[in-house]
Amino acid sequence: MINAVMIFTPRGELLVFKVFKSSVKRTISDIFRVQVINNDNIRSPILTLGSTTFHFIRTTAGSKLWLVAVTRSNADSGAIWEYLYKLNSLMEVYGLTHEDILKDEFIVCHELLDITLGMNGLPMDTELSSVIGKMTLKPAQVLTSSADRSDILASSVTTLGHNSTPISMPKFLSRNSNRSVTQEFESQFSPSNIPWRSRDIKYKKNEMIVNVIEKINVLVGKDDNILRAYVDGTIDITAHLSGMPMCQIGMNDLSTIQGGENAHWTNEDRASNRDAMPDVSGDRVILEGSKFHQCVALDKYNKDNVIWFIPPDGQFELMKYHVSNNLNLPFRITPQVTLTSHGTALSYAIKLKSLFPRKLSAENVVLRIPVPPGTLDCKINASDGKCKFIPEENCMVWSFHRFNGSTENHLNAQTVPTQSIASQSIKQWTRPPMSLDFKVLMFSNTGLIVRYLKVQEKNMHYNTIKWIKYISAAGSYEVRY
Amino acid sequence: MDQRIFARYKASELKNDLQGFDVKKSKNSALKRKNALKKIIANLTLGNYNEMVHMFPDIINYWKIEDDMEVREICHEYIRCLGPLKPKSAKEALPLILKDLNSKNEKLQLQALNTLISVPTSEFYNEVFQFTSDAINRKSQSSNVTKTAIFSLIQLDDIEHNQIFPFLERLLDILDNPNSRPAVQAACLKTLYTIHEKNNDMQFLCLKSNIVFNILSILSKLNEWDTVYALEHLPISAVPQTHSEALKMIEMTLPQLQHVNSSVALNAMKFIAYLLNYVDHINESIVHKCSNSVISLLDKPPELQFLVLRNVILLLLSREDSLLHIDVAYFFIDYHDPIYIKDTKLECLYLLANKDNLPIILNELSQYATDIDTQMSRKTIRAIGNLAVKLGDDSVDDSVDILLNLLEFGVDYVVEEIISVFRNILRKYPERFTDVIPNLIHYSNSVQEAESKNAMIWIITRYYNLLPNYLDNFSVFSSKIKDESLDVQFSILNSSVKFFVRSPSKETEKICIGILTICTEEINNADLRSRAFMYWRLLSMVQNDNSVSNETVKEIVDGELPLIELDTKLDSQILEELELDIGSISSIYLKPVSQIFRLNKSKYLPKSPALNASRRQLEVIEDSSSTYNHERFTPNRSFSDINRDSSSSPVRQSSVQNYNSPAETVNHLRGKMKLSSRSPSKLSRNPSKLIRRLSVRTGLGKNK
Repeated sequence: MINAVMIFTPRGELLVFKVFKSSVKRTISDIFRVQVINNDNIRSPILTLGSTTFHFIRTTAGSKLWLVAVTRSNADSGAIWEYLYKLNSLMEVYGLTHEDILKDEFIVCHELLDITLGMNGLPMDTELSSVIGKMTLKPAQVLTSSADRSDILASSVTTLGHNSTPISMPKFLSRNSNRSVTQEFESQFSPSNIPWRSRDIKYKKNEMIVNVIEKINVLVGKDDNILRAYVDGTIDITAHLSGMPMCQIGMNDLSTIQGGENAHWTNEDRASNRDAMPDVSGDRVILEGSKFHQCVALDKYNKDNVIWFIPPDGQFELMKYHVSNNLNLPFRITPQVTLTSHGTALSYAIKLKSLFPRKLSAENVVLRIPVPPGTLDCKINASDGKCKFIPEENCMVWSFHRFNGSTENHLNAQTVPTQSIASQSIKQWTRPPMSLDFKVLMFSNTGLIVRYLKVQEKNMHYNTIKWIKYISAAGSYEVRY
Repeated sequence: MDQRIFARYKASELKNDLQGFDVKKSKNSALKRKNALKKIIANLTLGNYNEMVHMFPDIINYWKIEDDMEVREICHEYIRCLGPLKPKSAKEALPLILKDLNSKNEKLQLQALNTLISVPTSEFYNEVFQFTSDAINRKSQSSNVTKTAIFSLIQLDDIEHNQIFPFLERLLDILDNPNSRPAVQAACLKTLYTIHEKNNDMQFLCLKSNIVFNILSILSKLNEWDTVYALEHLPISAVPQTHSEALKMIEMTLPQLQHVNSSVALNAMKFIAYLLNYVDHINESIVHKCSNSVISLLDKPPELQFLVLRNVILLLLSREDSLLHIDVAYFFIDYHDPIYIKDTKLECLYLLANKDNLPIILNELSQYATDIDTQMSRKTIRAIGNLAVKLGDDSVDDSVDILLNLLEFGVDYVVEEIISVFRNILRKYPERFTDVIPNLIHYSNSVQEAESKNAMIWIITRYYNLLPNYLDNFSVFSSKIKDESLDVQFSILNSSVKFFVRSPSKETEKICIGILTICTEEINNADLRSRAFMYWRLLSMVQNDNSVSNETVKEIVDGELPLIELDTKLDSQILEELELDIGSISSIYLKPVSQIFRLNKSKYLPKSPALNASRRQLEVIEDSSSTYNHERFTPNRSFSDINRDSSSSPVRQSSVQNYNSPAETVNHLRGKMKLSSRSPSKLSRNPSKLIRRLSVRTGLGKNK
C-alpha cells in the first residue's frame, strides 16, 4: 500500500527515506519538495501527480516535520493518514520531535518504520506497548500524550505526573533490553494470544489510571443564539496490570446502564457519584456515537451494552464519545462591540461569567479578542485578570491564572486607531470570532461519570489501585459579535 | 560525538572508521564503528550512492561477525537500498540473509523477507517463493512472519505471475478452513483480492458466503490493521444471494462502525453502503449508527476530518439523506479550520440545504462571505447564488436579499462574484428582480474579472429597456475592447450587434460598425474575426437585398434563452462506482478510479438475485422492536430546530442546562481604561511601516 515513507525538516531537508517497493526512485523526494514544501499556496493535504499520490501531515510537537506517504494506486486514504498520525505519536514517545534529534537518531525511526510497516508497506501493528516491546531501544520516558489532543492536554500530561513524578517505567518495557540476537527469544504472538498484549507482564503494584477528558465546542452567534454546542470526550487509561486482566467499565450513560449484570441505577449510586465528583448533574447521559479502542469487544458491546476489554500494557485511549444534549457549559461570554462616535474606533464591553460550581476553579483561562487591523493600542479596563494588546496578532488577550466558579468579570476597552484609518475599513472588517481557552479539573460538561471499573485476573488475585480524573477543556469555544 | 552523523562522507573516510573491528573489546571503537554504520545510512538518505557502493565488502564483513540487532538492521537496509543497483554484489550477502531468514527471531525473519524481495534477481525471488511455500501452512511460524510471507505474493505476482496460481488455491483453502489463524486469514483475503484486481486476465475475487460469514465473525479477534484488510475488500467479493443474507452481513458489520481507527469505520461504512444495494429495506437504527459514526469521526485530526467530509459529500450525492441524518450545525465552519476543511464544509452545507433549513444555512453563509480568504469568500457567494437557483421560488428572495446586503459591503471581489451569480438568478427569474438592475449597473466600473464583466454586459444587454442610458453603460466596456480578454470581446461584439438589431438608429449603428471594424481589422484573433464577419454579412444581407428579414436576423442573433437548471448530480453509474471506493483516494477527488489511475479496473456491482434495480427502492423503516434499543433514546434533534422553537428566548434550554444562571460573585470594574501596558512594539513605533502592512491586509487578498 505505502510505497515509501519520507520525513522532511520544515524547510525540506530529507531525513528519512524508506522504500517499500523498489520501483520508487529517490527523485520522488525532490518532486515533493518542489510541489508541496516550497509551494506557499497548498490548499489540500493530499497531492496526486500522474499516478503517484502524496499523503502528508505535519508533526504535532516540536519542529513541524513533514511526514509523507507515497502511494502508486488507489490506496485507502483513511488507513494512510491514520498510520501517519500513529507514527507521529510513536516518534513523540521516542522523543524524535526535533530535526536535530532526528538527525542523530534516525536509525530509531528506521526501526519504528520496520516494525510498524510490513511487506508492501502495509501497516502491521502500531499499538504503543507492543511496538515498544519489539524495539531494541526503549523510550527514555513514556509520555502519555497522544497525537491529536496534545495541544490542549500538554498541561494535563504534566499534572499526570510527568513533571513532578514521572510515571515509573513499566518493568515490561525495560525488559528485553538485551540487544544481542544470539539470545533468541520466542516469537511473541502465538495464536492463542491477544494481538495487543503479551502474556508475561508482571507488576508489583497493580494500578489503573483513568482520565476522562472532555473537549467542549461551542459557537455562539451574533444574537447570543447558541448555534452549536457539543462535546468530544475521550477516556484515556494507563494500565499497569499483571497477567491477562479482564476489565469492565461502566458509566452513567443510557446504554451501559441498561446492560451489564449489575445494572441497577439506584439513588445510592447517584449519591456516591456526587461524592466522587460534586455538583455535576449525575443523571443519565446519552452518548451519540462512541468509538472504541481495538481492545474493546465491539460485538459484546452491541449485544449486551457492556464495555469489556483486555487492556494493552501502558497508556491507551479506551474510547471516544460525542454528546450534544444537556450540556453544562462552563462559561458564558457576552460581548458588546460598537463603533465609537468618530466611526474609526471600536469599543468593547465584555462580560465573562463562569457557570460551574463555586468550589471548582478553571486554570489558564484565556479570551482572545480580535481588534481591527490598524489598531495602534487599546485602552483597557478589566475587573480581574490581565488584559494586554498584542499588535502582532491584532488582538487583545485577557487571561486569568485562576477563574473561580460562579464568578462574573467585566472588561471595557477601546481601540486606538492610526490616524489615517478610514471608517469604511473598520466597517468592512470581517470580525473574526472571539475564542476562549480554559481547563477545569473535576468538572464534566456532559455529566458523564465512571460508575465502576472492574479488573479480574483469573490466575492471579490482586487488588488494583484505581485513579480517576475528570478534565474539561475548550475545543473551539467561539463567540461572534 | 566528534563528527556529525548526518553529513556527506567519502567511502574512504568511513572505511577508516570501520578499521580494526577485531579489537572488539574496546567500547570506544565499538561506538565509533556503529556511528560509521549510521553514517552509511545517512549518506544513502542523502543520495550519496556513488560513494556508498564501495562499502559492500565492509558491510558483509560486519554482518559475519556482529550479532548486534541494530547492526543487522543497518546491513539489511544497506542491501535493500543498493542491492537493486548492484545485484551481483548483493548475491554475496545472500547466504547471510538466508541465515537470518531461518533464525528463530521474528524480527530478523521479517527483515530478511523484506530484503529478499527488494533485490530484483531470480535467485532472491526463488528464495521468497520457497520460504512462502513452506511458511503458509506451518503453524509453528509466528503469525507475523506468515502474514508477511503471504503479502510478499503480491510483489512476486508482478514478476512471476504464472508461478502464483498454485498459491492462490492454497490461500483460498486457508480462508475456507475455520481453524486457520484469524490474522493469517485477513492477510489471505487482502492478497487474493489484490492479485485478482490488478491482473487483467483475472476476474474480481468472488467469495463463497460461508467464507464471508467466517470473516465477519473473526473481526473481533483481529488487531486494527488486520480488521482493515479483512473489511476492505468484502465489497464486490462478497455477493449476497438473498435480502436476508445481506441483512445478516450488515448486522455483523455494524459494530465496526464504532472502531476508533477511522479506516476501520470507513471500510465498515463502505461495506454497509454496498450491501444496501442488496436489501429491500433497512431499519432506521442503521441510519443512526452510520450518522453517529460520521459525527464522531469529525473529532479526528484535520486530514482525516477532510477525508470524512469528502465521503459525506459522496454519500449525500448518491443517497441524498437516506443514509446519513446529520445536523447541519456540524458543518458550520470554524474560524481556524484549515482552508480545505472550510471548502468541503461549504459544499456539505450547500448539498444539505432544503426549504426547512435554508434560513439557518443562509445566515451562516452570509458570515463566510466576508472571510479573509478570497477564494473562500467567492465560493460562498457562488453557493448563495446557486441555492437561489437550485431551491426555487421559496428561497430566492432571501438569497437575493443577502447578496444585495453584501453588495453594500463594497469590496471589489465580493461585488464581482455577486454580479456573476446574479446573471444566473436573472436567467432563472427574468422578471422578478427588475428593480435591482439599476443598483447592479451602478457597479459597472468596479468589475475587473472577465467572468463578471461578461455577466455585467449580459445584464445591460438583457435589461436595456430599463436603463435610460444603456449605451453609456455599455461604452464603459466597449470603449476598451482592445484590452479585454477574448471572451469579453465576444460578449461586447455580440451585444453591440444585438443593440443594433433591436433598435436600429444612428447611435447603435455607429457603435455596432465601430466594434465590427475593430474586431475584423485591429484585433488579431481568427475566431473573433470570423464571428464579426459573420455578423457583418448577416446585417448587410438585410440592408442590401432584403433576402433576409430583420425579424429573422433578430431570431438568430437575439433569440430567447432557455431557463437554466442547476444539476449537481453526478451520473448514477459513477456514483455507484464511487460508493465502492469509500475512504480511498478516489473518494477525495470524487472521480472514478479509472479516471485517476489509468491502470485500475473499474468496479461494478456483481449480479445477484438480490440486487436492486435502482437505489431508490430502498425503504427506511422506523423500528420499534429492534435489538438496538438504546439508539431509540437518541432523539432526532437538531440544533437548528431548537433555535427556532425558542425564538422568544434566545437561549436554547433543552440542550444547555445552566446558561442563564446568575453568578454568585460579580467583579465590577474599577478605575479607568488604561493604554495597554505592553511596551510599544517595533511596529507601532514606525507608523509608516504599519500603514503599509495595513494596506496589504485591507487590499483584500488581491495582493496575496
